Amino acid sequence: MRTALCIIGVSLATTFVIAVGATTMRYATVIKEMNVLFSDQVMVVSKDTIVIQAIPITRGSLPESLAEEIKGNIKEADKAVPVLFITSINFEGIIQPVPPNFSIGIPVENWRLIIGPTPLKGGIGHFPTNESSNEVVVGASLADQYNWTVNTEIAVNGYKLNVTGILDTKLALLNRCVVMPLKLAQELYNYPGSVNIIAIKPLPGYSQKNLAETIEKQIAYVNALTEDERNDMIQPILAQVETWNVGLQTIVFIMSLILVMTVNLMSVSERRRDFATLDAMGAPLGYVFRGVVIEASLIGILGGALGVVLGSLASLVLASFYTNIPLAQFFPSILEIVPPLFMLEIFAAIVFVCCAGGVVPAINAMRMRVAEVLRAEY
Amino acid sequence: MEIKTVDLTRIYRVGSSTITAVDKVNFEVKGASLIAIVGPSGSGKSTLLNLIGLNDYPTSGKILIDNMDASFLSSGERRKIRLFRVGFVFQTFNLLPVLNALENLELPMALGGKPQKEQREKATRLLEAVGLSNRFYHRPKELSIGEMQRVAIARALANDPEIIIADEPTGELDSKTAKEIIALLFDINRKEKTTVVVATHDEKIVEVADTIYTIQDGKLRLERQCQVG
Repeated sequence: MRTALCIIGVSLATTFVIAVGATTMRYATVIKEMNVLFSDQVMVVSKDTIVIQAIPITRGSLPESLAEEIKGNIKEADKAVPVLFITSINFEGIIQPVPPNFSIGIPVENWRLIIGPTPLKGGIGHFPTNESSNEVVVGASLADQYNWTVNTEIAVNGYKLNVTGILDTKLALLNRCVVMPLKLAQELYNYPGSVNIIAIKPLPGYSQKNLAETIEKQIAYVNALTEDERNDMIQPILAQVETWNVGLQTIVFIMSLILVMTVNLMSVSERRRDFATLDAMGAPLGYVFRGVVIEASLIGILGGALGVVLGSLASLVLASFYTNIPLAQFFPSILEIVPPLFMLEIFAAIVFVCCAGGVVPAINAMRMRVAEVLRAEY
Repeated sequence: MEIKTVDLTRIYRVGSSTITAVDKVNFEVKGASLIAIVGPSGSGKSTLLNLIGLNDYPTSGKILIDNMDASFLSSGERRKIRLFRVGFVFQTFNLLPVLNALENLELPMALGGKPQKEQREKATRLLEAVGLSNRFYHRPKELSIGEMQRVAIARALANDPEIIIADEPTGELDSKTAKEIIALLFDINRKEKTTVVVATHDEKIVEVADTIYTIQDGKLRLERQCQVG
């Protein structure tokens, strides 16, 4: 009974570590991915806009014409693309604390700036070709959730849009995106003539840093962020999250260690006579030590295995809870949400912790001498 | 196997006081005799048996095993002697509760590295010899106390020891069962030519013993010695 409770305790600890670890890791990955969309480019945003990586998370608009102005007046600028990036599209009236959906408006000739080499699923459909059309491409995860296929008509903010392709990508952010022509996005989200990002590529021979400095010098009301600056802004936050994560894991592992050690100390104490008998029989010290450590590691193996399964399920539940994406949709990608290597790491760590928790009881067991134990009993 | 003690002393420290459990004992075990050590509770019988069985270390004096000073033996060598040359029988049997009768017998053989098949064959044979052929797969809690002591004696014989040290083997038994256990120990001594050293209160053991020592306040005295052939 006590051992069963100990296994449950260890499994709960493992569940907690897996669920919290996988969830934070998932969001950290998504945040890191945000920069992939605009790599090698300087992002220009309004000074009062808060950005995470290249994504503006508060409203702060720039005139669309600023893109042409920069291209015309700043000699280091090669290509300037205005982009409208909107978080939390309101499908079915549901808004989540973590934005599950995004909308990106971009001039039709510049698709590749956002989606890179991402193909359309099954090679079916096409990217919108006309600025004023109502054509959109959508991420595969969104399409799965709402059963959208090519030529499905969808409603966003009361506008009827036509899905012309489904993005076949592994990037979480693109998977949850509706990508549309810039003019359509401006109309849909009420940004007439405005955008919230201008992505600028430096001319060959110029660095992002030079370009950003020139832009900020010439245009007072914008921030021009290089890729390194964007990473540097988020790095302390990610590092802090990582530190908290490691801290929590350490506390949970220490608690598991104490639990396993206590249970094993009690178990050894109750079997003093058995260990003393083994000693009297001439059992090698290693035999007794191994026996107790193996018992402790079995607790780790059983509790860890149960915890990995429960923790993985809990990670999916958390992901679903925070995004309102149906749970079933996460099951096929369970190994992406909780990578096997992470499962293995935590499993190995908890087994190691339990083994370590067995060391002190095992040393106690090795010290049991029949003369002392029997004398204490009589 | 010859065991000889020279001025063997064991003192326990309990808080600020000391207890001399064994006091300058000179004692010799030689040949396949049945030796009884008789004394009241707390007289030092068990301590003496633990010392000569290399389960404990003396405070002073010597234990000679085949004329070799045991104080020069490493912990591993002492363990080997306990495993292969000495068999212990405890008053409270000390069977491992999670193992059945056969497994309890196989354990010392497994510790000695005997192959599994031989372990099983010998354990079966020994259990049959002590009259427990119908109790192979019973765990200790499913056995009577007499049966438990028989299993314990069979276990002590598992690695063919040269000496069996039995600490009050009939202490927990009723008189009928005690008689059977004494007969069993006597048989082992006579048929297998195994030395048996028994600490006891039991008059019936004293009656069949070749050599009788009494012990009082840790001091050992030879009471009777018969020549063993």
